[in-house]
Amino acid sequence: MSRRQLAMVMDLNKCLGCQTCTSACKTQWTNRRGRDDMLWNHVETQPGRGYPRDWRGSGGGFDGAGRLRPGRIPDRARDYGAPFEVNHAQALNPLGALARPTAPHLGPDTPPSFGPGWDEDQGAGAYPNSWFFYLPRICNHCTNPACLAACPRGAIYKRDEDGIVLVDQKRCRGYQHCIGACPYKKVYFNPTFGRSEKCILCYPRVEQGLAPACAQQCPGRIRFVGYLDDEAGAVHALVTRWRVALPLHAEFGTGPNVYYVPPLSPDKLDDQGRPTGERRIPDAFLVELFGPRAPEVLGVLQAEREKRRRGEPSALMDLLIAYRHDEIFRVSRRKGAT
Amino acid sequence: MVSRRDLLRRGSACGLAAALPDALADAAGMPAPHIDDPGNPLAGYPHRGWEDFYREEFAATRGDSQGFAFHCSNCQGNCAFRVFARDGVVVREEQLAQYPQIRAEIPDPNPRGCNKGTIHSQSMADADRLHWPLQRVGRRGEGRWRRVAWDAAIDAIAAKVVDTMVQHGPGAIMLHAGTGIVSQGKRAGPLRLGSLLGAQRLYPSSAVGDMFTGASLAYGIPNVGTSLDAWFEMDYIVLWSFNPSTTRIPDAHYLWEAKWRGARIVVVSPDYNPTAIHADLWVPIAPGTDSSLAMSLVNVVLAEGLVDEDFVREQTDLPFLVREDDGRLLRLADLREGGRDDVFYAWDEAKGKAQPMPGTRGHFRKTLRLGALRPALSGRWEVQGADGRPIAVTTVFDRIRAEAAKFSPEATHAHTGVHPDVVRRLAREFAAARDPGITVGFSLHKYAWGILACWAQALLCALTGHEVVDTEHQWSLGGIGPLSSPKPARFGSGFYGEWMAGRMWESFRRHHGRDGDFARRAGIAPEALVELAARASERKWTSYWGPPRVRLMFADNIFRRNKAASGYRRAVLDATELYVDVNTRMDSSAEFADFVLPATSHYEGWDLRGEVGYHRYANLTMPPPGLKPVGESKTEWEICSLLAARIQQIAKDRGIGPLPDPDFVVERDGKQQPVTRDLDILHDEFTMLGRLKTDQDVVRWLLDNVPAFQRWKLDDVVRNGYLPLNTQAGLTSPLYADRPYRSFEEQRHLRKPYPTLSGRQQFCIDHELFVQLGCSVPTAREPLHPARWPLRFYSPHTRWGIHSTWRTNKYMLRQQRGVPHVNLNPDDAATRGIADGDTVRVFNDVGEFRAMAKLMPGLRPGTLTMDHAWEPHQFARRQGMDEPVAGLLSPLELAGGWGHLRFGAEWDGNQLANESSVDVAKV
Repeated sequence: MSRRQLAMVMDLNKCLGCQTCTSACKTQWTNRRGRDDMLWNHVETQPGRGYPRDWRGSGGGFDGAGRLRPGRIPDRARDYGAPFEVNHAQALNPLGALARPTAPHLGPDTPPSFGPGWDEDQGAGAYPNSWFFYLPRICNHCTNPACLAACPRGAIYKRDEDGIVLVDQKRCRGYQHCIGACPYKKVYFNPTFGRSEKCILCYPRVEQGLAPACAQQCPGRIRFVGYLDDEAGAVHALVTRWRVALPLHAEFGTGPNVYYVPPLSPDKLDDQGRPTGERRIPDAFLVELFGPRAPEVLGVLQAEREKRRRGEPSALMDLLIAYRHDEIFRVSRRKGAT
Repeated sequence: MVSRRDLLRRGSACGLAAALPDALADAAGMPAPHIDDPGNPLAGYPHRGWEDFYREEFAATRGDSQGFAFHCSNCQGNCAFRVFARDGVVVREEQLAQYPQIRAEIPDPNPRGCNKGTIHSQSMADADRLHWPLQRVGRRGEGRWRRVAWDAAIDAIAAKVVDTMVQHGPGAIMLHAGTGIVSQGKRAGPLRLGSLLGAQRLYPSSAVGDMFTGASLAYGIPNVGTSLDAWFEMDYIVLWSFNPSTTRIPDAHYLWEAKWRGARIVVVSPDYNPTAIHADLWVPIAPGTDSSLAMSLVNVVLAEGLVDEDFVREQTDLPFLVREDDGRLLRLADLREGGRDDVFYAWDEAKGKAQPMPGTRGHFRKTLRLGALRPALSGRWEVQGADGRPIAVTTVFDRIRAEAAKFSPEATHAHTGVHPDVVRRLAREFAAARDPGITVGFSLHKYAWGILACWAQALLCALTGHEVVDTEHQWSLGGIGPLSSPKPARFGSGFYGEWMAGRMWESFRRHHGRDGDFARRAGIAPEALVELAARASERKWTSYWGPPRVRLMFADNIFRRNKAASGYRRAVLDATELYVDVNTRMDSSAEFADFVLPATSHYEGWDLRGEVGYHRYANLTMPPPGLKPVGESKTEWEICSLLAARIQQIAKDRGIGPLPDPDFVVERDGKQQPVTRDLDILHDEFTMLGRLKTDQDVVRWLLDNVPAFQRWKLDDVVRNGYLPLNTQAGLTSPLYADRPYRSFEEQRHLRKPYPTLSGRQQFCIDHELFVQLGCSVPTAREPLHPARWPLRFYSPHTRWGIHSTWRTNKYMLRQQRGVPHVNLNPDDAATRGIADGDTVRVFNDVGEFRAMAKLMPGLRPGTLTMDHAWEPHQFARRQGMDEPVAGLLSPLELAGGWGHLRFGAEWDGNQLANESSVDVAKV
């Protein structure tokens, strides 16, 4: 365990599914150097197959005895979706360089059959009781990282000062054990350089006092970033004091340090179209993702929200509202508690 | 199985990769790697020197120079960004996120922005980008081009413009800036040049179907409501035909923060959309039946006595008297020979007689204050007419009550699919709320009866005394006229102009003309509607200047947007002798041009944008110093300036003096004289005698002359990247520095009249067409989808583009299906043997296209949807999604020449995207 841990809380009730985080991360890190088809950050629709395809059933992590569980390395084409290029020049001839366009229409150079947004907004259920929500995902910078445990080179480590888990790009030889071992499938293989790479929690930004790009640039203001032990910060308050931010699939045994405020949902409708008073996202599904406390947390959120509606104060609601963008983030080590 | 410790030990012992090439070292110039045992990497790690690898990358993305930008696409978000360039090339952008909080109780707006804006640094270099002028050498649309020099292109275009002006007059030119550029800086060039030439231009808002005509009926202006931070103050928020989590990404956070503040959120939409997922109540409604639901809400409010009588007595025309014989408002002209037709009456309970109401257009008292008047809301009386005969009168309120009585929640249930209990709950909760709001989206008026739905929504707000329906409010930036409109131009209706230019009645006849039920639902037979449309411009109800011979089109993707797409394209191209497209990329419209001229994109020139906005900031675009141009692209201002200079030279060379333009008359030396089009001094006029040489000069001019921008100077804006608008930006209320904007404070608190005929929120329109169609007070109509085809087709806005902008970027496409897809309910798909991922044909009697099928459980059975604005060239056979969408006009939107319904910025209609039916089959 690192001396300190920089953590993130994502309030799924505020997520727009807009993928600005994904764009921000793309231009910050993954539009170059063999990473073009990686998404260190992405937002997936749940329930769904997720990204990479069926990652929740792909193994990895630790069993109850602390032993690594076997994990599958996703197939590049099938599970990530073959990354395609777009035939702009051939289909449109924008420079007038071709005698005439050579492609019948604009599109991917290889027909896609899967991708990170393949099941966007699909979800489950039947009209009008269908349901879905957005689940943004980055590397969890786990307390007990399976990727680290699985690396035969000892090239993955956890920084003592902030708990950020890094793949040493100088020592990695691309064996990809880490990719199979990560139960969240958030380590990617760089085919150009033969190395594994993943979210670095924007440590070069954090070291300059800037929030990670995905969080800083989130228009929904859903991502709180700070040290878990910083008692003055929202992350500490939401995770430890209010206990409304829950880890994703804690049973994977890695101790993830990204936490989620689980989503409320509109009432189900009866066969006449009348609201039933029952949330349409089944509690069982939230329990599957966020553990047994998910329904209790939804109860706390509703109760505090009702207090606020009645005009009573609620420190929890004020925290989640987050009145000032710059106060959502407390990434400077100087600012934090010791 | 092995434990973590085992692995660590094994890993440290193996070291078998020593022989592999070290790509990192190669790439980053680092020394050969150490491969010694790191010990326990969980406890400490000795080899951290490599971490500079990502630090250096980060530094590279911060660039060596910085600029500011917003994206001037047809998104009203208008978000401030910082732009980073390295070696003269843009490498990245990031939201500025520096907007101040206006008050501690309201969250600040930061960071704003969206997935598209944050990817533009990549998109601006996509391979569809235009780099130099192209001249067509093959048939139109064939894709055969010759690269030409700017001089040659400008020469040829200018010569054709001069010839056409001389032979056919200025009306034969269209110089139109579309919605691809909506900023005050970028638009200034084409608007100014078009104005000086007297060229045609279309009203962009109506051309793209963004007119809130229902709001215009009620308030006299289409864009009213609040800045989006006002959501945070509300306690009951209804989002109707509006999906802000997708379409208002920069500001949607105020909704979900309001929810945590305790607000109830209701979403009314046919599909379970990304906004509905966070709502308290989702009201699934059959597409196009919104007017029925709105009238049922009015019905409940009236039936249950939830009316704020003081409000409606003063602020609405509900107490106005209406003649029982012809349903028209009682006017002074009815009571006195030769009397005015814009003075109206109410029954004064204090004096027991009809009294003229102050504040109407014709009344000398310009106030809503009632003084001693006690206008009755309900009753029947007789007044003596001008001819001495009695006229039976009642009130608008009673007319409305009678109309609303037809639309009980039970009566509309079958149309809307909304259970009466839900309707009653919605009406009661809305009426009882402290500060409720209804915000409607741009898609509502893309249905034929969006106009009626919005008018009834306005009525619901009025009856309950709750502000106004929020229709995407706008600022009013005055002071731009001398820059953009130095002379009168041929301003034409957007929706009607495209109907005429594209011969859209042809597809209308095919699709709706054979629908036996159309006349009952529309209140007018199909041929009568075609005839009505044909006569609308000669009756001066709307504005149309005939088919232009020369089209100089800036950033307008007409062949992507218009309905019955290939029919429209054929009609337009056949009528056009020269079609010039100024664009950043080869879009579906540039492809068919005779000349394509490359324009700078969002980060590459100076620009300023202060409207239309949901927030109070005007943003600056300032290129990073040292930015290299993309190819030979030029700013719109420079392109227009070059054209103006060349036209002036040709005119001088050929001795062409001022051309009188008798369609417009001005007073000069005390005499009425026609405006002249002075080609021989065009460039001098265009540049204000050399004052406006560059786009930066334009930005400076705007800062100096727009009252809402005062007191800010260029230096301030260059330092901050934005400026806060001052109080004058508000249209019907001041824009207070510390409060969200809300329309009509001047009307509610100062009792200034509304810009309507009645001077009030108006719910009786006795225009002959409204009377003929039985719509003189708010009512409801069934949608016009022909039943012959089983699926109602509608096309919501996408999160993956601002219309077609960014639609073809690979990073955006990779997060979708990569190819255009239509959405189907799984049951509708199953009955047709369609599986997710199949290629399907969507077709009807107008046209067809092919796309991938995506099965969406949240989609209403009996509907088929597709995110709008895919480029036609993204489809197989390049037949896009508007092929089967028939031309259609809402008959009410053709009205004009009456009261506040006169063609102009506040009153024009919409192209209707969402009233066609289709079927779908597996290919």
